[in-house]
Amino acid sequence: MDNLIGIVNYGIAGNIHSVKKSIEKAGGSALVINIPSDFNLVDKVIIPGVGSFKDAMQELNNDGFIGPLKSFDKPILGICLGMQILAKLGLEYGRTNGLDLIDAEVKPIQCDGKVPHMGFNKIQVTKSCALLNEIEEEEFYFMHSYEVVNYTDIAALTEYRGHSFVSVICKDNLYGVQFHPEKSRDAGIKLLSNFINIKV
Amino acid sequence: MNTRIIAKLDVKPPYVVKPVHFEGLRKMGRASELAKKYYDQGADELFYIDIVSSLYRRDILFDDIEKVANELLIPFAAGGGVKSVEDFSRMFHMGADKVVINTYAVQENPGIINKAAEVFGNQAVVVNIEAKKWNSHWECYTDCGRIQSKIDVLEWTQEAEQRGAGEILLQSVDADGRCRGFDIELSEKVVNLVNIPVVVSSGAGSLEDIKTLVEVAKPDGVAIASLLHYDRATIQDIKQYLSIDNKQK
Repeated sequence: MDNLIGIVNYGIAGNIHSVKKSIEKAGGSALVINIPSDFNLVDKVIIPGVGSFKDAMQELNNDGFIGPLKSFDKPILGICLGMQILAKLGLEYGRTNGLDLIDAEVKPIQCDGKVPHMGFNKIQVTKSCALLNEIEEEEFYFMHSYEVVNYTDIAALTEYRGHSFVSVICKDNLYGVQFHPEKSRDAGIKLLSNFINIKV
Repeated sequence: MNTRIIAKLDVKPPYVVKPVHFEGLRKMGRASELAKKYYDQGADELFYIDIVSSLYRRDILFDDIEKVANELLIPFAAGGGVKSVEDFSRMFHMGADKVVINTYAVQENPGIINKAAEVFGNQAVVVNIEAKKWNSHWECYTDCGRIQSKIDVLEWTQEAEQRGAGEILLQSVDADGRCRGFDIELSEKVVNLVNIPVVVSSGAGSLEDIKTLVEVAKPDGVAIASLLHYDRATIQDIKQYLSIDNKQK
Protein backbone atom coordinates (compact mmCIF):
# COMPACT_ATOMS: atom_id res chain seq x y z
CA MET A 1 0.00 0.00 0.00
CA ASP A 2 3.07 2.13 0.24
CA ASN A 3 3.11 5.46 -1.41
CA LEU A 4 -0.51 5.99 -2.29
CA ILE A 5 -1.14 9.44 -3.77
CA GLY A 6 -4.38 11.11 -2.74
CA ILE A 7 -5.99 13.49 -5.22
CA VAL A 8 -8.26 15.99 -3.56
CA ASN A 9 -11.66 15.99 -5.24
CA TYR A 10 -13.27 19.30 -4.47
CA GLY A 11 -16.19 21.02 -6.03
CA ILE A 12 -17.57 21.15 -9.48
CA ALA A 13 -14.41 22.36 -11.15
CA GLY A 14 -11.81 19.66 -10.55
CA ASN A 15 -9.96 17.93 -13.36
CA ILE A 16 -8.94 14.98 -11.21
CA HIS A 17 -9.38 12.72 -14.21
CA SER A 18 -6.24 13.85 -16.00
CA VAL A 19 -4.19 14.10 -12.81
CA LYS A 20 -5.06 10.54 -11.82
CA LYS A 21 -4.23 9.26 -15.28
CA SER A 22 -0.84 11.02 -15.23
CA ILE A 23 0.05 9.66 -11.80
CA GLU A 24 -0.62 6.16 -13.06
CA LYS A 25 1.40 6.87 -16.16
CA ALA A 26 4.26 8.03 -13.92
CA GLY A 27 4.18 4.71 -12.15
CA GLY A 28 2.22 5.65 -9.03
CA SER A 29 -1.11 4.66 -7.65
CA ALA A 30 -3.75 7.20 -6.84
CA LEU A 31 -6.80 7.43 -4.64
CA VAL A 32 -9.41 10.13 -5.12
CA ILE A 33 -10.06 11.85 -1.81
CA ASN A 34 -13.80 12.32 -1.41
CA ILE A 35 -14.23 12.55 2.36
CA PRO A 36 -11.98 13.95 5.12
CA SER A 37 -11.06 10.53 6.53
CA ASP A 38 -9.55 9.56 3.15
CA PHE A 39 -6.56 11.72 4.09
CA ASN A 40 -5.61 9.00 6.60
CA LEU A 41 -5.26 6.44 3.83
CA VAL A 42 -2.72 8.23 1.68
CA ASP A 43 1.00 8.99 1.84
CA LYS A 44 0.99 12.10 -0.29
CA VAL A 45 -1.58 14.54 -1.52
CA ILE A 46 -2.09 16.38 -4.79
CA ILE A 47 -4.38 19.40 -4.91
CA PRO A 48 -5.35 19.80 -8.56
CA GLY A 49 -6.60 23.08 -9.84
CA VAL A 50 -9.23 24.30 -12.19
CA GLY A 51 -11.40 27.06 -10.91
CA SER A 52 -11.23 30.35 -9.12
CA PHE A 53 -9.54 30.95 -5.76
CA LYS A 54 -12.72 31.96 -4.00
CA ASP A 55 -14.74 29.02 -5.27
CA ALA A 56 -11.99 26.55 -4.47
CA MET A 57 -11.72 27.68 -0.85
CA GLN A 58 -15.48 27.56 -0.46
CA GLU A 59 -15.63 24.03 -1.81
CA LEU A 60 -12.75 22.83 0.37
CA ASN A 61 -14.57 24.31 3.34
CA ASN A 62 -17.90 22.66 2.41
CA ASP A 63 -16.16 19.30 2.04
CA GLY A 64 -14.40 19.61 5.40
CA PHE A 65 -10.98 19.40 3.74
CA ILE A 66 -9.34 22.53 5.13
CA GLY A 67 -8.44 21.07 8.53
CA PRO A 68 -7.00 17.80 7.17
CA LEU A 69 -4.99 19.68 4.53
CA LYS A 70 -3.53 22.14 7.03
CA SER A 71 -2.44 19.36 9.37
CA PHE A 72 -1.20 16.96 6.68
CA ASP A 73 2.50 16.54 7.42
CA LYS A 74 3.46 14.40 4.44
CA PRO A 75 4.25 15.78 0.96
CA ILE A 76 1.60 17.95 -0.68
CA LEU A 77 1.77 19.04 -4.32
CA GLY A 78 -0.45 21.90 -5.42
CA ILE A 79 -1.03 22.24 -9.16
CA CYS A 80 -1.91 25.67 -10.62
CA LEU A 81 -4.83 26.87 -8.50
CA GLY A 82 -3.90 24.08 -6.07
CA MET A 83 -0.55 25.83 -5.58
CA GLN A 84 -2.17 29.25 -5.31
CA ILE A 85 -4.48 28.26 -2.47
CA LEU A 86 -1.47 27.25 -0.35
CA ALA A 87 -1.00 31.01 0.03
CA LYS A 88 -2.24 33.26 2.75
CA LEU A 89 -4.47 35.43 0.60
CA GLY A 90 -6.07 35.37 -2.85
CA LEU A 91 -7.27 38.38 -4.81
CA GLU A 92 -9.42 36.68 -7.45
CA TYR A 93 -13.07 37.82 -7.22
CA GLY A 94 -12.51 39.71 -3.96
CA ARG A 95 -10.19 38.89 -1.06
CA THR A 96 -10.23 35.28 0.07
CA ASN A 97 -8.16 33.62 2.75
CA GLY A 98 -6.14 30.66 1.48
CA LEU A 99 -4.79 27.66 3.38
CA ASP A 100 -2.07 29.93 4.73
CA LEU A 101 0.65 27.30 4.49
CA ILE A 102 2.99 29.57 2.54
CA ASP A 103 3.70 33.23 3.10
CA ALA A 104 2.36 34.47 -0.21
CA GLU A 105 -0.40 36.38 -1.92
CA VAL A 106 -2.06 35.56 -5.24
CA LYS A 107 -2.41 38.52 -7.58
CA PRO A 108 -3.31 39.15 -11.22
CA ILE A 109 -0.35 38.77 -13.59
CA GLN A 110 0.93 42.22 -14.51
CA CYS A 111 2.82 42.20 -17.78
CA ASP A 112 2.81 43.42 -21.37
CA GLY A 113 1.74 40.05 -22.76
CA LYS A 114 -1.74 38.68 -23.10
CA VAL A 115 -3.36 37.23 -20.00
CA PRO A 116 -4.15 34.37 -19.34
CA HIS A 117 -0.58 33.22 -19.87
CA MET A 118 -1.34 30.13 -21.92
CA GLY A 119 0.99 27.67 -23.59
CA PHE A 120 4.25 25.78 -23.14
CA ASN A 121 6.94 27.84 -21.44
CA LYS A 122 10.31 27.15 -19.82
CA ILE A 123 11.16 27.11 -16.15
CA GLN A 124 14.47 28.27 -14.71
CA VAL A 125 15.37 26.31 -11.63
CA THR A 126 16.68 28.57 -8.85
CA LYS A 127 16.85 26.10 -5.98
CA SER A 128 17.33 22.38 -6.09
CA CYS A 129 14.57 20.30 -4.60
CA ALA A 130 13.43 16.69 -4.85
CA LEU A 131 10.50 17.64 -7.08
CA LEU A 132 12.84 19.08 -9.71
CA ASN A 133 15.34 16.25 -9.65
CA GLU A 134 16.93 16.00 -13.14
CA ILE A 135 14.71 18.78 -14.43
CA GLU A 136 16.47 21.88 -15.67
CA GLU A 137 15.09 24.08 -18.39
CA GLU A 138 12.10 21.99 -19.35
CA GLU A 139 8.93 23.34 -20.91
CA PHE A 140 5.63 22.94 -19.12
CA TYR A 141 2.09 23.94 -19.93
CA PHE A 142 0.80 27.10 -18.25
CA MET A 143 -2.78 28.28 -18.16
CA HIS A 144 -3.34 31.02 -15.59
CA SER A 145 -4.25 34.66 -15.02
CA TYR A 146 -2.96 34.97 -11.46
CA GLU A 147 0.47 34.48 -9.97
CA VAL A 148 1.82 33.60 -6.56
CA VAL A 149 3.82 36.46 -5.09
CA ASN A 150 6.33 34.93 -2.71
CA TYR A 151 9.97 35.67 -1.89
CA THR A 152 11.09 32.90 0.42
CA ASP A 153 10.21 29.52 -1.07
CA ILE A 154 10.95 29.89 -4.77
CA ALA A 155 12.36 26.83 -6.56
CA ALA A 156 11.86 27.98 -10.16
CA LEU A 157 10.90 31.07 -12.11
CA THR A 158 9.35 31.53 -15.52
CA GLU A 159 9.58 34.50 -17.80
CA TYR A 160 6.65 35.73 -19.83
CA ARG A 161 6.92 38.86 -21.97
CA GLY A 162 9.59 40.43 -19.83
CA HIS A 163 7.90 39.50 -16.57
CA SER A 164 9.36 36.92 -14.24
CA PHE A 165 7.03 35.02 -11.92
CA VAL A 166 7.19 32.12 -9.51
CA SER A 167 6.53 28.83 -11.28
CA VAL A 168 7.64 26.33 -8.63
CA ILE A 169 7.74 26.62 -4.86
CA CYS A 170 8.95 24.22 -2.24
CA LYS A 171 8.96 24.54 1.50
CA ASP A 172 9.42 21.55 3.79
CA ASN A 173 6.72 19.06 2.80
CA LEU A 174 4.97 21.56 0.52
CA TYR A 175 5.40 21.77 -3.22
CA GLY A 176 3.57 23.89 -5.74
CA VAL A 177 3.73 24.23 -9.50
CA GLN A 178 2.01 26.99 -11.44
CA PHE A 179 1.94 24.89 -14.60
CA HIS A 180 0.08 21.66 -15.31
CA PRO A 181 2.43 18.66 -15.20
CA GLU A 182 -0.50 16.45 -16.21
CA LYS A 183 -0.65 18.42 -19.48
CA SER A 184 3.06 18.70 -20.16
CA ARG A 185 3.98 15.50 -21.96
CA ASP A 186 7.14 13.71 -20.78
CA ALA A 187 8.49 16.58 -18.69
CA GLY A 188 5.30 16.55 -16.65
CA ILE A 189 5.42 12.80 -16.15
CA LYS A 190 9.04 13.14 -14.98
CA LEU A 191 8.04 15.76 -12.40
CA LEU A 192 5.17 13.62 -11.15
CA SER A 193 7.45 10.61 -10.89
CA ASN A 194 9.82 12.77 -8.82
CA PHE A 195 6.93 13.58 -6.54
CA ILE A 196 5.99 9.88 -6.28
CA ASN A 197 9.61 9.08 -5.39
CA ILE A 198 9.99 11.63 -2.61
CA LYS A 199 10.85 9.70 0.53
CA VAL A 200 8.28 10.12 3.26
CA MET B 1 6.71 32.08 -26.31
CA ASN B 2 5.96 30.24 -29.52
CA THR B 3 2.67 30.35 -31.34
CA ARG B 4 0.69 27.35 -30.18
CA ILE B 5 -0.04 24.82 -32.90
CA ILE B 6 -3.39 23.26 -32.14
CA ALA B 7 -5.19 20.39 -33.81
CA LYS B 8 -8.92 21.03 -34.19
CA LEU B 9 -11.42 18.21 -34.40
CA ASP B 10 -14.88 19.08 -35.65
CA VAL B 11 -16.86 16.14 -34.44
CA LYS B 12 -20.13 14.44 -35.11
CA PRO B 13 -19.52 11.84 -32.41
CA PRO B 14 -17.69 9.59 -32.64
CA TYR B 15 -16.35 10.76 -35.99
CA VAL B 16 -14.29 13.76 -36.93
CA VAL B 17 -16.02 15.31 -39.89
CA LYS B 18 -14.88 18.01 -42.18
CA PRO B 19 -17.48 20.59 -43.05
CA VAL B 20 -16.82 22.69 -46.10
CA HIS B 21 -17.78 26.24 -45.13
CA PHE B 22 -19.63 24.61 -42.31
CA GLU B 23 -21.91 22.77 -44.78
CA GLY B 24 -21.74 19.18 -45.98
CA LEU B 25 -19.86 16.70 -43.82
CA ARG B 26 -17.11 14.28 -44.72
CA LYS B 27 -16.07 11.59 -42.22
CA MET B 28 -12.33 11.80 -41.49
CA GLY B 29 -11.88 9.16 -38.79
CA ARG B 30 -12.65 8.47 -35.16
CA ALA B 31 -12.04 11.41 -32.85
CA SER B 32 -10.06 9.39 -30.31
CA GLU B 33 -7.78 7.97 -33.00
CA LEU B 34 -7.08 11.30 -34.64
CA ALA B 35 -6.51 12.90 -31.23
CA LYS B 36 -3.83 10.32 -30.51
CA LYS B 37 -2.30 10.81 -33.94
CA TYR B 38 -1.95 14.58 -33.54
CA TYR B 39 -0.75 14.23 -29.97
CA ASP B 40 2.02 11.92 -31.20
CA GLN B 41 2.88 14.43 -33.91
CA GLY B 42 3.55 17.07 -31.25
CA ALA B 43 0.39 19.18 -31.09
CA ASP B 44 0.48 21.77 -28.30
CA GLU B 45 -3.23 21.43 -27.66
CA LEU B 46 -6.35 19.85 -29.00
CA PHE B 47 -9.74 21.44 -29.63
CA TYR B 48 -12.79 19.21 -29.86
CA ILE B 49 -15.97 20.80 -31.12
CA ASP B 50 -19.17 18.80 -31.40
CA ILE B 51 -20.48 20.68 -34.39
CA VAL B 52 -23.97 19.21 -34.47
CA SER B 53 -24.94 19.39 -30.82
CA SER B 54 -26.28 22.96 -30.91
CA LEU B 55 -27.86 22.52 -34.28
CA TYR B 56 -29.77 19.34 -33.43
CA ARG B 57 -30.53 20.60 -29.92
CA ARG B 58 -29.40 17.31 -28.51
CA ASP B 59 -27.50 16.55 -25.33
CA ILE B 60 -23.74 16.67 -25.24
CA LEU B 61 -22.15 13.24 -25.73
CA PHE B 62 -19.79 13.27 -22.78
CA ASP B 63 -18.54 9.71 -23.25
CA ASP B 64 -16.86 10.55 -26.51
CA ILE B 65 -15.18 13.56 -24.92
CA GLU B 66 -13.80 11.35 -22.19
CA LYS B 67 -12.51 8.89 -24.75
CA VAL B 68 -10.58 11.65 -26.50
CA ALA B 69 -9.28 13.13 -23.25
CA ASN B 70 -7.87 9.73 -22.32
CA GLU B 71 -5.49 9.86 -25.26
CA LEU B 72 -3.83 13.12 -24.27
CA LEU B 73 -1.19 14.58 -22.01
CA ILE B 74 -1.67 18.04 -23.42
CA PRO B 75 -4.41 20.61 -22.87
CA PHE B 76 -7.77 19.73 -24.25
CA ALA B 77 -10.57 22.18 -25.00
CA ALA B 78 -14.04 20.82 -25.64
CA GLY B 79 -17.24 22.45 -26.79
CA GLY B 80 -20.45 22.19 -28.73
CA GLY B 81 -23.91 22.50 -27.24
CA VAL B 82 -22.77 23.93 -23.88
CA LYS B 83 -25.70 25.65 -22.16
CA SER B 84 -25.07 25.72 -18.43
CA VAL B 85 -22.51 25.79 -15.66
CA GLU B 86 -23.34 22.11 -15.13
CA ASP B 87 -22.31 21.40 -18.72
CA PHE B 88 -19.00 23.16 -18.07
CA SER B 89 -18.52 21.13 -14.93
CA ARG B 90 -19.22 17.81 -16.63
CA MET B 91 -16.83 18.68 -19.44
CA PHE B 92 -14.05 19.29 -16.90
CA HIS B 93 -14.83 16.03 -15.16
CA MET B 94 -14.57 14.22 -18.48
CA GLY B 95 -11.04 15.58 -18.82
CA ALA B 96 -11.45 18.91 -20.61
CA ASP B 97 -9.22 21.75 -19.44
CA LYS B 98 -11.10 24.47 -21.25
CA VAL B 99 -14.66 24.66 -22.43
CA VAL B 100 -15.65 26.32 -25.67
CA ILE B 101 -18.95 28.17 -25.98
CA ASN B 102 -20.69 30.01 -28.79
CA THR B 103 -24.34 29.47 -29.68
CA TYR B 104 -25.93 29.66 -26.24
CA ALA B 105 -23.90 32.72 -25.22
CA VAL B 106 -24.74 34.58 -28.43
CA GLN B 107 -28.39 33.59 -28.82
CA GLU B 108 -29.66 33.27 -25.30
CA ASN B 109 -27.49 34.29 -22.42
CA PRO B 110 -24.10 36.00 -22.67
CA GLY B 111 -24.11 36.04 -18.85
CA ILE B 112 -23.03 32.39 -18.91
CA ILE B 113 -19.53 33.67 -19.75
CA ASN B 114 -19.42 35.70 -16.52
CA LYS B 115 -20.83 32.87 -14.48
CA ALA B 116 -18.45 30.25 -15.88
CA ALA B 117 -15.43 32.53 -15.46
CA GLU B 118 -16.35 33.16 -11.86
CA VAL B 119 -16.71 29.47 -11.04
CA PHE B 120 -13.94 27.94 -13.16
CA GLY B 121 -11.55 30.84 -13.67
CA ASN B 122 -11.33 32.77 -16.93
CA GLN B 123 -8.48 30.60 -18.27
CA ALA B 124 -11.02 27.79 -18.67
CA VAL B 125 -13.56 29.71 -20.76
CA VAL B 126 -13.03 29.90 -24.51
CA VAL B 127 -15.47 31.90 -26.61
CA ASN B 128 -15.76 30.56 -30.13
CA ILE B 129 -16.58 33.19 -32.73
CA GLU B 130 -17.84 32.16 -36.15
CA ALA B 131 -17.38 35.25 -38.27
CA LYS B 132 -18.86 36.00 -41.66
CA LYS B 133 -17.86 39.04 -43.66
CA TRP B 134 -20.42 41.55 -44.89
CA ASN B 135 -18.94 44.40 -46.94
CA SER B 136 -16.97 46.27 -44.31
CA HIS B 137 -17.88 44.39 -41.17
CA TRP B 138 -18.06 40.88 -39.80
CA GLU B 139 -21.06 39.30 -38.16
CA CYS B 140 -21.24 36.50 -35.57
CA TYR B 141 -22.86 33.26 -36.65
CA THR B 142 -24.00 30.38 -34.50
CA ASP B 143 -24.98 26.74 -34.85
CA CYS B 144 -21.87 25.94 -36.79
CA GLY B 145 -22.03 28.88 -39.16
CA ARG B 146 -25.69 28.53 -40.06
CA ILE B 147 -27.58 31.11 -38.07
CA GLN B 148 -27.02 34.83 -38.46
CA SER B 149 -27.03 36.87 -35.25
CA LYS B 150 -26.80 40.54 -36.31
CA ILE B 151 -24.06 40.89 -33.71
CA ASP B 152 -20.86 42.61 -34.81
CA VAL B 153 -17.79 40.40 -34.38
CA LEU B 154 -15.50 43.10 -33.02
CA GLU B 155 -18.07 44.34 -30.53
CA TRP B 156 -18.82 40.81 -29.39
CA THR B 157 -15.12 40.03 -29.04
CA GLN B 158 -14.71 42.93 -26.65
CA GLU B 159 -17.85 42.05 -24.77
CA ALA B 160 -16.68 38.44 -24.38
CA GLU B 161 -13.38 39.66 -22.93
CA GLN B 162 -15.14 42.01 -20.51
CA ARG B 163 -17.44 39.22 -19.41
CA GLY B 164 -14.47 37.08 -18.46
CA ALA B 165 -13.57 34.92 -21.46
CA GLY B 166 -9.97 33.71 -21.20
CA GLU B 167 -9.46 33.00 -24.86
CA ILE B 168 -11.06 33.59 -28.24
CA LEU B 169 -11.30 30.90 -30.90
CA LEU B 170 -11.76 32.84 -34.12
CA GLN B 171 -13.24 30.92 -37.02
CA SER B 172 -14.27 32.24 -40.40
CA VAL B 173 -17.45 30.97 -42.01
CA ASP B 174 -16.13 32.22 -45.36
CA ALA B 175 -12.68 30.65 -45.19
CA ASP B 176 -13.46 27.46 -43.29
CA GLY B 177 -12.64 24.24 -45.10
CA ARG B 178 -11.73 25.97 -48.35
CA CYS B 179 -7.98 25.75 -47.75
CA ARG B 180 -7.34 29.07 -49.47
CA GLY B 181 -5.80 30.99 -46.62
CA PHE B 182 -6.99 32.66 -43.44
CA ASP B 183 -9.01 35.84 -43.11
CA ILE B 184 -5.87 37.78 -42.17
CA GLU B 185 -7.54 41.16 -41.95
CA LEU B 186 -10.08 39.96 -39.41
CA SER B 187 -7.50 37.97 -37.48
CA GLU B 188 -5.26 40.99 -37.10
CA LYS B 189 -8.14 43.16 -35.93
CA VAL B 190 -9.29 40.65 -33.32
CA VAL B 191 -5.78 39.90 -32.03
CA ASN B 192 -5.07 43.60 -31.56
CA LEU B 193 -8.43 44.36 -30.02
CA VAL B 194 -8.21 42.26 -26.87
CA ASN B 195 -5.72 41.42 -24.15
CA ILE B 196 -6.62 37.74 -23.99
CA PRO B 197 -5.10 35.07 -26.23
CA VAL B 198 -6.64 34.58 -29.66
CA VAL B 199 -6.52 31.26 -31.51
CA VAL B 200 -7.22 31.62 -35.21
CA SER B 201 -8.72 28.84 -37.28
CA SER B 202 -10.27 28.27 -40.72
CA GLY B 203 -8.53 28.43 -44.03
CA ALA B 204 -5.06 26.86 -43.85
CA GLY B 205 -4.34 25.38 -47.24
CA SER B 206 -0.56 25.37 -47.03
CA LEU B 207 2.32 25.89 -44.64
CA GLU B 208 2.80 29.27 -46.24
CA ASP B 209 -0.75 30.29 -45.26
CA ILE B 210 0.04 29.52 -41.64
CA LYS B 211 3.32 31.40 -41.75
CA THR B 212 1.66 34.45 -43.23
CA LEU B 213 -1.01 34.41 -40.54
CA VAL B 214 1.56 34.07 -37.76
CA GLU B 215 3.77 36.83 -39.14
CA VAL B 216 1.06 39.32 -39.99
CA ALA B 217 -1.70 38.80 -37.43
CA LYS B 218 0.47 37.34 -34.63
CA PRO B 219 -2.19 35.15 -33.03
CA ASP B 220 -1.36 33.26 -29.85
CA GLY B 221 -2.38 30.01 -31.44
CA VAL B 222 -3.36 28.53 -34.78
CA ALA B 223 -5.92 25.74 -34.94
CA ILE B 224 -5.54 23.40 -37.89
CA ALA B 225 -8.05 20.88 -39.19
CA SER B 226 -8.21 19.99 -42.92
CA LEU B 227 -4.50 20.23 -43.54
CA LEU B 228 -3.93 17.59 -40.87
CA HIS B 229 -6.96 15.44 -41.63
CA TYR B 230 -6.03 15.07 -45.29
CA ASP B 231 -2.39 14.35 -44.31
CA ARG B 232 -1.21 17.30 -46.33
CA ALA B 233 0.97 18.34 -43.43
CA THR B 234 1.85 17.08 -39.97
CA ILE B 235 2.29 19.11 -36.80
CA GLN B 236 6.05 18.54 -37.20
CA ASP B 237 5.95 20.02 -40.71
CA ILE B 238 4.13 23.10 -39.46
CA LYS B 239 6.46 23.69 -36.53
CA GLN B 240 9.51 23.11 -38.66
CA TYR B 241 8.25 25.61 -41.21
CA LEU B 242 7.70 28.16 -38.45
CA SER B 243 11.06 27.27 -36.82
CA ILE B 244 9.47 26.05 -33.60
CA ASP B 245 11.11 23.27 -31.59
CA ASN B 246 8.84 20.27 -31.50
CA LYS B 247 8.30 17.97 -28.56
CA GLN B 248 6.94 14.75 -29.94
CA LYS B 249 5.71 11.76 -28.09
